[in-house]
Amino acid sequence: MTPRPVLIGRDVLRLPLVGRLLRWRWGRLALQLPLLLVAAALVIDGFAGPQDAPRNLATVVPWVHFRGLAVLALLLAGNLFCMACPFTLPRTLARGLSLRRRRFPRRLRGKWLALVSLLGLFLVYEIFSLWASPLLTAWLIVAYFAAAFILEAWFGESAFCKYVCPLGTFNFVYSTLSPTQIAVKDRAVCAACAGKECVRGSYRRLPNARVDVLPDGPREARQGPSGTPGCGLLLFPPQLTTNLDCTFCLDCVRACPHDNIALAARRPGGELLRPRAWRQRWDVTLLVVALAFIGVVSAFSMTPPRYELQSSLSRLGFADEPLQLLAIFGVGGLLLPAGAALLAARLGQALTRTSRRLSLRQTAAAFAPAFAPLGFGIWAAHYSFHFLVAPLTLIPVVQEFLGQPGEWARFGVMGDLTAIGLLQAALLLGGFLWSLWIAQRAAFRLYRRDALPGLLPWALLLLALMLAAGYLFTLPMEMRGTDFLLG
Amino acid sequence: MLVALLVALLLAGCRQPPPTPTAALQIDLTYEPAPARVGQAALLITVRDTAGQPVTDAKVSARGDMSHAGMAPVLGEGEPQGNGRYRVPFEWTMSGDWFVDVTVTLPDGAVAQQRFDLTVSR
Repeated sequence: MTPRPVLIGRDVLRLPLVGRLLRWRWGRLALQLPLLLVAAALVIDGFAGPQDAPRNLATVVPWVHFRGLAVLALLLAGNLFCMACPFTLPRTLARGLSLRRRRFPRRLRGKWLALVSLLGLFLVYEIFSLWASPLLTAWLIVAYFAAAFILEAWFGESAFCKYVCPLGTFNFVYSTLSPTQIAVKDRAVCAACAGKECVRGSYRRLPNARVDVLPDGPREARQGPSGTPGCGLLLFPPQLTTNLDCTFCLDCVRACPHDNIALAARRPGGELLRPRAWRQRWDVTLLVVALAFIGVVSAFSMTPPRYELQSSLSRLGFADEPLQLLAIFGVGGLLLPAGAALLAARLGQALTRTSRRLSLRQTAAAFAPAFAPLGFGIWAAHYSFHFLVAPLTLIPVVQEFLGQPGEWARFGVMGDLTAIGLLQAALLLGGFLWSLWIAQRAAFRLYRRDALPGLLPWALLLLALMLAAGYLFTLPMEMRGTDFLLG
Repeated sequence: MLVALLVALLLAGCRQPPPTPTAALQIDLTYEPAPARVGQAALLITVRDTAGQPVTDAKVSARGDMSHAGMAPVLGEGEPQGNGRYRVPFEWTMSGDWFVDVTVTLPDGAVAQQRFDLTVSR
């Protein structure tokens, strides 16, 4: 069955000013350079600035403000961080050095590596208490640039973005809720296009021209030195049914000689309701389910029960903290979601007697999109707390970075904790209800008259996740285990 | 890219170095309630000179930060209690690891600073 094409809404690229900037040949670079400047400032402050986390850009920007703004952008606009990501600038350099040769190993072309790198990032964050260490955060940023350069230089297909980057993976998953998506305006134009510049790029050393016979008549298509690269991730826009792999780089838009690609407004999360919009693979399914569970584990790691669990593990002779955290994240972020998804799928099969018609993989894949809104709600509730609890503290940190006295008394004001709590509850409950809606649609699609028993295991799993997250958010947060970093 | 890096380097060069202590003082910190718990509190700071004599005419300020980024600092000014003791009304806003920087400024402008690490419980 061919997935239904995306319904084209308003093309964001037709908006005045913004659309023109985004379509401009150097539009992405114009977005990347400010973030590169920010990244450079973070690295320099992390290495050379004061090692007090609340007063250093390297810790305040990425661990507080970036995360809050990223979830907001995903919900309201799209994958804006990947669009302006400075880590991909090495790709351009690597291309200039003509080092891009190999395809990424076939066995690693999926979401498994991304899931492992995502878990790895959260584990490193916990083990090294990165929230409290400007120096280690600066090293992480440097490592990120290095990894992006090496992978982009060695492999084609933007391997870093597509298969490895943990930040990008987070953005990919939750940009499925976003109200925008890359889409073609007329599929017949793509069918008639001989150059497929959206993937191959329109850049050529020597200029050339051809004529494509489009539905509305012949049209010239030019390639040449002023052209642009095509999609670094080798995504073919007419076949795009999801944001799950798209960095919103808009290279396809700039390269298309027929102006046939749009950044289309769409119903938020519309793809989550479309059958087969996502590939029915275990890696995709587990990534989305696991990321929701990791959201709970991440919140758990900031509350007293985490320290009580670690104390219990220590009393049992399991005293090594990195191993304790590996166990907590391995079980809570990988084994538990995998087991829960398998169990829910199996129960669904048993309750609807569909085990012959639908495999476990198909069943789990059909319900996987339902975990995106709740997962987003959990992460957004968590990050919004950090972002809103003292949002203006960034100003004195920047003031001090620029050599001015930081106006801490003026800007170091705490947000209203009751209002933040209500927002967290709304995000969590909204995510849950949205997830339940998607799950019941999947159940009706799969089971027809048996939809209710088919839905039951998934609804219970979503409810359990929501209640667990809600309970954790009512606990007092506490950040410990960071004394060693303070010297 | 080079321009971006150069600009960042130039900006980083603007950062003022932390104030250099110019007075040798002995600063001690206790707090009420003890052990520290989330909520209203008071810092009790004792300042003595190198001879162990109480310093009674200093300006004392305290700044409490959590060890992680993103929380607002708690700022306070010391009220002289006599005999080199100063009381700073304070609030522990979250449980976890904190550090408190106490700054003592003498009438002649000389400054002394001391950092104290502590854990605040629920």
